[in-house]
Amino acid sequence: MSREEILSKVKEAFVSVLEHENFQLTDDTTANDVDGWESITHMMIITEVEKVFNIKFKLMDLMNMNNVGDLLNTITSELE
Amino acid sequence: MKFVKELQRSIEKHSDHNVLCINNVFYTYNDFAVEISKIRAAIVSTVEDEEKLIGLVTNDDLQTYAGILALWLEGKAYVPVNPSTPIERNIQVFESTETKYVLDSSNISIYTDHTVIATKTLVDTKINLEVKDFSGDQLAYILFTSGTTGKPKGVPITFNNVDALVNAIDAEPEFDLVPSDRCLQMFELTFDFSVVTYLFPLLAGACIYTIPKNTIKYFYIFKLIKEQKLTVLTMVPSIINYLRPYFPEINAPDVRYCSFGGGALHSDIAKEWSDCLPNCKIFNYYGPTEFTVYSGFYPYHKETHQKANNGIIAIGVPQKDTLYLVVDDKNQEVPIGVTGELCLAGPQITPGYWKNEERNAISFFNREENGVKVRYYKTGDLCIKDEDGDFLYAGRADFQVKIRGYRVELAEIEFHAKVKSPKKVNMVALDIPNNLGNAELGLAIEGESFDTEEIFNYMRTKMPDYMIPGHTRFVKEFPHSINGKINRKELKTYFDIN
Repeated sequence: MSREEILSKVKEAFVSVLEHENFQLTDDTTANDVDGWESITHMMIITEVEKVFNIKFKLMDLMNMNNVGDLLNTITSELE
Repeated sequence: MKFVKELQRSIEKHSDHNVLCINNVFYTYNDFAVEISKIRAAIVSTVEDEEKLIGLVTNDDLQTYAGILALWLEGKAYVPVNPSTPIERNIQVFESTETKYVLDSSNISIYTDHTVIATKTLVDTKINLEVKDFSGDQLAYILFTSGTTGKPKGVPITFNNVDALVNAIDAEPEFDLVPSDRCLQMFELTFDFSVVTYLFPLLAGACIYTIPKNTIKYFYIFKLIKEQKLTVLTMVPSIINYLRPYFPEINAPDVRYCSFGGGALHSDIAKEWSDCLPNCKIFNYYGPTEFTVYSGFYPYHKETHQKANNGIIAIGVPQKDTLYLVVDDKNQEVPIGVTGELCLAGPQITPGYWKNEERNAISFFNREENGVKVRYYKTGDLCIKDEDGDFLYAGRADFQVKIRGYRVELAEIEFHAKVKSPKKVNMVALDIPNNLGNAELGLAIEGESFDTEEIFNYMRTKMPDYMIPGHTRFVKEFPHSINGKINRKELKTYFDIN
């Protein structure tokens, strides 16, 4: 799966959890840049992403995830 | 005041120990004493003696914690406001408490109508931790909780109340903090659970680890447990609900104590969590803000102590000097095994809601016991006392729900949602369980769908984040029960959030 495809599926996961589409996702995007993305919704987004890609993140990876780029990298390595 | 004197002794005695770890920076008790003294000197030179209630902007820094101690040494109360809560709500808090002075460690203070003591830029002064003489019925803090009429309710707590709490916890041999303990402080200082997570470590000379704002707190907590080897955890149950999918990866042998409070602890997850903490005692605490944080606990153990009702761990027995009473709707005690409303009496009880006689008449009552008049607080929590004398939680008696440990009155959300609605339609706020076992807020709106942006923008100026519904559904016609009330249970089925 290409990075663009992954990003587009990730965006769908964000939309389904946050129930709005008023945001752009780039590698540098953090929780501060997106309305409603905070501790709780982050957990729901992670669960949704795991479901969509049929993967399971490791707590150690989640612990050091700081932006959307980190998220995409982790998904990529999980899919390999 | 006994506990404030003990704080002074502890700060002096442990001067080379670490007191706080904030965003990976450690501060010693000596650093703390320096900040306390600076802030105290500024308070003494700026604030009149008769001004007792002082605002505190709750940033995550040394000065904010030092501000609390500085006020207490002077016999004054802190009125905390969270910088991420809408300013209008914070100003409302200051107005209702007639707070004129504010301790603020922010670089630029937004409280321009108040006299601000900028606690980050004060000049050095001699360390002075001597406790001033003052009466124990002075206030130590006032916290505000969600109110049904759209206005938050103020809960004042006196120095005597806090002293009674410390006294009760000291009397409990099962829980004994030592200077080498590393303790989690994950709460906003506007939330009463924070009082025990800074106060008990400070009294013991232990170190407090905070959660920086703008981090994903669940993972940050795990990071602290793993990297800093925390020994004492105090949490709301929703934290472990969210961490649950990752339990197999968690093994924390350093944790000695884990205290839960602020919500129902379910027995299945308690057992799984207990497996992650092989050397830990787990306490299931109970207590409302109106009774100074804790009123008692149940000592959970996955093999020997797992008493539960409908899957919710028991809340145990009242602590030292506290009385529990389960009553019917006429405030008469019900027999053992019968569900009723739990009422609390003892020295930790608040003097009453701040300037709210109407509410006080409903929430407090006096009862004659052995010729003495005893004052009880009605918690709104339904409980059952069992044959062993343990108390079991059985739900809420009203429309208050717990969101991430915070008390939320659904009526307050409905109140603010309706104000800016372009259409005068029925709106009902609901607590919706998600698949991790936590409650999220939903807003059901009756009729055809319309743009709710204005409603939500308005709500965000009136209420903190956790009170803003995350899900909205339009329902053509609300379902009603036979007696004509809106059927909330059925309405919840419209929210397929999982």
